[in-house]
Amino acid sequence: MGTFSDQVIINEEIKGVKTYVMPTGVKDVVTISGSMLGGSIHCAGKNSKVSSLVASMLDKGTEKKNKYEISDMLESVGAELNFSSTRYHTHFTGFCLKNNLETVVSLLAEQLTTPRFSTEELSTLQGRISGNLIRDKENTKKLAMIQFLRTLFPRNHPNYQATIDESVESVKKASVKDLFAFHKEHYGLGSIKIAAAGDVKAEALNGLLLEAMKDWKNKKTNIPKITEKAIKPKKGSQTIKVQDKTSADLYIGQSIGINREHKDYYPLMLGVYILGGNFSARLMQTVRDKQGLTYGIGSSISGVSFGADGYWSTWGTFSPDILKKGVGATKDQINLWFDKGVTEEELSAKKTTINGSYKVSMDSTSGLTSKILSNAEQGRDLLYLDEYPKIIDAISLSEVNTAIKNHVDPEKLYMVSAGTL
Amino acid sequence: MCPKNNNKFTGYDFIKESAGIEEYVLVENSLRVLVLEDHSAPVATFMVTYHVGSRNEAIGYTGSTHLLEHLMFKGSRNFNKDKNTAIWTELQNIGAQINATTWNDRTNYFEVVPSEHLERAIAIEADRMRHAFLKDEDRQPEMTVVRNEFERGENSPFDVLDKNIWATAYQAHPYHHSTIGWRSDIENVSTERLKNFYDTYYWPNNATVTVIGDFNKKEALASINKYFSEHSKSKEPIPPVYTDEPEQEGPRRIMVKRTGQTGIVGIAHKTPKGLHEDTYALQVLSKILADGKTSRLNKLIIDKGLATSIFMYDFPFLDNGLFITYAFLTPGIDHKEVEKIIINEYNNITESGVSKEEVERAQAQIRATVAFSRDGTYAVASALNEAIAIGDWTFYTNFMDNISNVTEEKIKEVVKKYFTEDQSTTGWFIAKEPKV
Repeated sequence: MGTFSDQVIINEEIKGVKTYVMPTGVKDVVTISGSMLGGSIHCAGKNSKVSSLVASMLDKGTEKKNKYEISDMLESVGAELNFSSTRYHTHFTGFCLKNNLETVVSLLAEQLTTPRFSTEELSTLQGRISGNLIRDKENTKKLAMIQFLRTLFPRNHPNYQATIDESVESVKKASVKDLFAFHKEHYGLGSIKIAAAGDVKAEALNGLLLEAMKDWKNKKTNIPKITEKAIKPKKGSQTIKVQDKTSADLYIGQSIGINREHKDYYPLMLGVYILGGNFSARLMQTVRDKQGLTYGIGSSISGVSFGADGYWSTWGTFSPDILKKGVGATKDQINLWFDKGVTEEELSAKKTTINGSYKVSMDSTSGLTSKILSNAEQGRDLLYLDEYPKIIDAISLSEVNTAIKNHVDPEKLYMVSAGTL
Repeated sequence: MCPKNNNKFTGYDFIKESAGIEEYVLVENSLRVLVLEDHSAPVATFMVTYHVGSRNEAIGYTGSTHLLEHLMFKGSRNFNKDKNTAIWTELQNIGAQINATTWNDRTNYFEVVPSEHLERAIAIEADRMRHAFLKDEDRQPEMTVVRNEFERGENSPFDVLDKNIWATAYQAHPYHHSTIGWRSDIENVSTERLKNFYDTYYWPNNATVTVIGDFNKKEALASINKYFSEHSKSKEPIPPVYTDEPEQEGPRRIMVKRTGQTGIVGIAHKTPKGLHEDTYALQVLSKILADGKTSRLNKLIIDKGLATSIFMYDFPFLDNGLFITYAFLTPGIDHKEVEKIIINEYNNITESGVSKEEVERAQAQIRATVAFSRDGTYAVASALNEAIAIGDWTFYTNFMDNISNVTEEKIKEVVKKYFTEDQSTTGWFIAKEPKV
């Protein structure tokens, strides 16, 4: 099997843009995934929804084309271009047949650089996004997760979440002026990473990008240093009551005080994977498979990128009348995991899982571009993708069990449940 | 048509080839095998599709196909916890993606594995085809797992409305009930009934195996032969579903009122069997109506701020299906207003048809979708699975050619034929204010 280093062609001909092209055996199709710095964290002190509104407005018209002209160009060849914004980045993804790559790249560049941001379109979009947010008020998982994170992190921490009402208010009060200001400040060369895979030649794509981006200006967007820390773990619980719901959602966990650069990150990640990373992990094998208390339960570490200290959470769903039993069963497993640690056999099995998953993730162009882009966004060399299985293989049992002891405290779990309770 | 490469393999009859996919039948027991070698990535997908779904159920045991699918992971003769070879553990520990799904016309089990582990997936699927344990002590906890899956679905206003629309549109035919089944049937169906179900439908002559990806065809076919040929054909013929839905003689309406935030409108019309020639025009119509920003309903509803999204339910099934347009309303918007716009648009097409440009754009969109359905071994197997379910796997390989033949006239004709008021079932989800 070839390595990523062998198969991916890297190009930095355009200053401030790094491209990663991986030709594969698939016929005709090309997937492009890219990003630049410019997410909600860059709205600090201002309206946090502006970055996502900017991304969502990119397909609503450019200086030269209205939204229907853009859509018509894409839809007439069956291509797609999507834009979104996360905490740190603005993302763009394109799917097209190889013959339409030029159309997609030139449109991508035009949409990113010369958006129209019309007042009328913004108003319609604000209505749609608000409607979707309001619909989330009946989503028990979303409600539990928001409250869980609001309890674990202070307001200015990257992992903090606004309430649905706060989000609606932010969306509604954003103006075209806000959008133009954000765009002017952050959209440009400097931090762009683009990964492409499929029936694509690196020279051809890079040539198209060079032409499309030749007049772009450099922007000095950086990830701000994260100084805010999580609130220290404390025991507690909250219940969110939502009427007419037959299943309740539960979040249990705590902040862990480390980011993914910490030496304990990988050992802890492996330990948590053994607890609840997949179906053969402990929680699914006991709380679901043996006891039949839930359709789904899992555990993971999140929010640890770009210097932020993250959190460990266990999420599951339960019938409201057996929630208490479900919580008990879940806590029993967490306590057992903490007290006794994981076994050499479990660790060995999970290492094999991660090695195999690495191969399986190469099954599609979108899987490949997602992996390559995510690695590049973290500032890592491509070689890291090839080294990753070895990094995991080198972790010892004592490192895993020590990391669990160092960063988990079962006496200070916070729990949020939402449903008809 | 014969493939260029050798198609003579011990134990198999070669049947046909289409778009590089070869069909064989295992002589021993009539197991159908589809094979496509693709060495793009070091991965292979193995899938078994059983020709049994919720259409094979009736009152008292709705949801059985799905509950049985869950029990199929509880262990079989060679793969079980006692031997430390449980199915999930065996496969997830090698990094495989593994799961199973059940729908109206089929149940499928699949593994996406690093290619060197393909034989393990084959061995597991062969073993549980006829040697699954299906113990009552396993059904008890799994029933509550499935019940929670049902409860999660019931949390969603869309799921609830969708179930009600199907239950109203179909009165006699088993598409009346959803694949998850009715709650009381999930809770009360006996293990014996599930075993009976298994012994009726889980046979090689009622299954199609698909293997796609990075493997040697000769070795893969030999491996399938090795593990599956231990099973005989079913002793009894597989019982057919003979219930036809009586003709609908007037429009039907359903309302679901629950605590919620926003309304949903769903308008359904009966469609022909998936393999009927009109299916292709309906697929193109679906794109013209609601795929992309230039689509008709997007301009009329989304761009006017009346709904936050539109979803077209246009899946072809083995028997007659439903073409449903769902609109998720913006808060404060009246259901009637959006319903009227959708119906007006159907009427506009009945009277004035669609343009050549609209058809060509929809065909281009489908062409790209079809190309992306070849992006990855799982994508191919998954698309084939749905074609197998409706009765002909070449539905997948010939799909684009058939779509290319759809004309403006044909679309006008199918709208006129199927989108009549008397064939409609309209559902509203009405969000009630929470009780104080």
